[in-house]
Amino acid sequence: MLRYSAKQLLNMALTLFAVSFLVFALNELSPGDVARKVLGPYASQSQVDYLTVQMGLDRPVLVRYAEYMGKALAGDFGDSVVFRQPVSALMFDRLGNTLLLAAISFAVIVPLSIVLGVLAGMRERGWFDRAVSVFSSMCASIPEFAMGVFLLGIFVVWLGWLPGTSPLRSDTGWSLWMQFVLPVLVVTFYDAGYLIAMVRSSMVEVMRQPYIRTALLKGMSFHGVVRRHALRNALITPFTVILLQLNYLVSGLVVVETLFAYPGFGRLMLEAALTKDIAVIEAGTLIAVSVTMLTQLFGDLGYMALDPRIRV
Amino acid sequence: MTEKLHPIVEKAGREFADGKLERREFLRLAVLLGVAAPAAYGMAGLAAPAMAQGMPKKGGIVRIGMRVQDISNPHTYSWIESANSGRQVLDYLTVTGIDNVTRPSLVQKWEATPDLKTWTLHLRRDVTWRKGRKFTADDAIWNLKRVLDDKTGSSVVGLFKGFILTEFDDGQKDAKGNPRKSVRLWDANAVQKVDDFTVKLNGQSANLSIPESLFHYPLLILSPEDGGKFGVGSDGTGAFELVEHEVGKRSVFTARKDGYWGGGPYIDRFEIIDLGDDAAAQVSALVSKQVDMIYQGAISTLPTIEKLTHIQVNSVDTGYTAVARTHPIKPFDDKRVRQALRYATDNEAVLKGALRGLGKPGEHHHVAPVHPEYADIGYLKRDVAKAKALLAEAGYPNGVDVTIDARPQPDWELLAVQIMVEQWKEAGIRTKINVMPSAQYWENWTKVPFGFTTWAHRPLGTMILGLAYRTGAAWNEANWSNAEFDKLLTEAEGYLDVEKRRAVMAKLERIMLDEGPVVVPVWRAVFNFSDKKIKGYKIHPSIYIDAKDVWIDA
Repeated sequence: MLRYSAKQLLNMALTLFAVSFLVFALNELSPGDVARKVLGPYASQSQVDYLTVQMGLDRPVLVRYAEYMGKALAGDFGDSVVFRQPVSALMFDRLGNTLLLAAISFAVIVPLSIVLGVLAGMRERGWFDRAVSVFSSMCASIPEFAMGVFLLGIFVVWLGWLPGTSPLRSDTGWSLWMQFVLPVLVVTFYDAGYLIAMVRSSMVEVMRQPYIRTALLKGMSFHGVVRRHALRNALITPFTVILLQLNYLVSGLVVVETLFAYPGFGRLMLEAALTKDIAVIEAGTLIAVSVTMLTQLFGDLGYMALDPRIRV
Repeated sequence: MTEKLHPIVEKAGREFADGKLERREFLRLAVLLGVAAPAAYGMAGLAAPAMAQGMPKKGGIVRIGMRVQDISNPHTYSWIESANSGRQVLDYLTVTGIDNVTRPSLVQKWEATPDLKTWTLHLRRDVTWRKGRKFTADDAIWNLKRVLDDKTGSSVVGLFKGFILTEFDDGQKDAKGNPRKSVRLWDANAVQKVDDFTVKLNGQSANLSIPESLFHYPLLILSPEDGGKFGVGSDGTGAFELVEHEVGKRSVFTARKDGYWGGGPYIDRFEIIDLGDDAAAQVSALVSKQVDMIYQGAISTLPTIEKLTHIQVNSVDTGYTAVARTHPIKPFDDKRVRQALRYATDNEAVLKGALRGLGKPGEHHHVAPVHPEYADIGYLKRDVAKAKALLAEAGYPNGVDVTIDARPQPDWELLAVQIMVEQWKEAGIRTKINVMPSAQYWENWTKVPFGFTTWAHRPLGTMILGLAYRTGAAWNEANWSNAEFDKLLTEAEGYLDVEKRRAVMAKLERIMLDEGPVVVPVWRAVFNFSDKKIKGYKIHPSIYIDAKDVWIDA
């Protein structure tokens, strides 16, 4: 297992290196000129040229990449041209906000999905199973922005119970926790819909196994069977899927963050991409890739712990 | 009037008396040439606009939803939003109001020589920087010289190029290896200090619009001691102090404690909250009273806003538009195809569908009814049969297939394109829409063969035609060239008499209808939203926002 982990970590380092270069190169190829962006469409060419030289952007791309990587390895991720501040400070703040939203959502989504999925799956085609299935497929098929606007209409415009945006400041007349309710709700509905279906189908499959029937026939109570024989087996497949949700929760919240004016990582990345803010894009991509690969690694390790038959 | 009037004002006054000069145009000219605004209103026989709605009350906080951008370098601002942050702390030399009239600000009075080449600016003597120093001519000159230095990167350069700046070969090569042109002051004495409160601009050619140009939004007057940088705690002559600024989040301004020379401010605190670009988020924030105002409204949110009883819509008609413009390449190299495009468009339907009727239908010649020299040459009605006939004549009996490039933001632009594309289809102009992000569009706006481009409001019709349609002009995105048009335009620019200008403008407009490269579907009204408790706010055609005029009626 140690060897496997070491191999995976080395793999990750190589991937990060490749991705960092790809992002740099792609950014170079995509249309647009950073100095032009800073000065706006109406600045003259000579003014743009001055700034290009001043920012060192007239040098070959490989030279700039080497310089960037050299600094990045020493922990300096450069400055954002849009925000005019060090990327590390910017990322730390935005990523922190997103992680907070992700953590709260995760804490709601996982128990909710497991409870609903298991309860539904243990009595296939019962009334509760049908209700949960309808609910989960509805949630999973409504896009986040539609769900967001729908909830905004009810809780903000109509009832006026919740704030419409979440700038994460307590001096806007609404407490911080109230600002979290709607974003968490939208993420939960969207993501839990999918997870509930996963847990349920896994549970259904397990409940069809001969050993479950055997256990029931030997006179064990239904709930005892579910607890002692079905649960652990039913959670093996969803476990990986649940871990993969971390990816979505860290780098996929763009829509929710934009809709609720939430100062998070996804919105920062979207704006950086639109303004070709390369230092931010690089750092953000590396973070997103790291999260993906680390959750995969943990997923594999956890899988082994849950299912003794699996060896790597 | 005891003071001597500028000869052009005297002449204009006679023309006005003879009924040749329109009231508004006379007013604009008179203030531009140094007559104080209230006096000019009197001379034109107009009532000066009432400034306040009742007695302003003191105190309170106003929060506006607007992008919080990097504002560290005012002289290179390229966004109105940045300028709206900077202007709370810093002042301009002049101010152009919502009525298109330019008034004194840090410059108390200005005079121009009869040839309009030399402008004398008399500065106010009662202005102090917040940190205690007196505002003098040295401060103004330092700022003027800094924005006019090519290395600063300010767009003010474009406005003063012919007047006071001259091009020279700076010995460097541009990216393509051609010799590069830079600009510098044409004469060492071009910006001249007369005394501690008087500055002279000695130009090489005539320029009528210097006072308007001094209000170009990057020309904020900074304290030289701050070295061109701006941020929390920076000195200023304005009504507020910047106490907090976090890009992408919020800015906080507090009222100046030692009093402001220009009246106001009434509120204690002004906050800018960054809500991102999403229109729905901005409305949500208004609904839950997290902000009191929104910088600019989006059409898609109007139906919701109209249902909210505590919100009011502020709107003003402007010369803002977006044009569907062609390059002279197949099939648009034939003027009949360009005419067909215009005949196939139903401007009223576009106005209704894309802007919910907020504004006026366009007339395809890019001169708006709000322009003083606008000539009414009749409205071009939609005629699908005629459009088809024109296409057939041009050799396209089965219609044409083209692609138009457009941006997704602001939302009305894409909507307008979609509506026009449907209309064009009926005439056999089958159009694919290629949507690209704004940033990308602005990289290519002059290069795409067929695109939909925003054009901001300009006070004069000749200004917009000169910027966008004169042969070889930097912003002539259509690569259009018409010798007769150029000649007539120069003629129009030389007339002070608005009636003479209007006569030439009628000819220019007809050329645009006959041969022009554009479809001008609408004139936009600019609008935004504010809580009804906000008083003293009137929307400016350029959406400049001055928190010092605003007060709260709780």
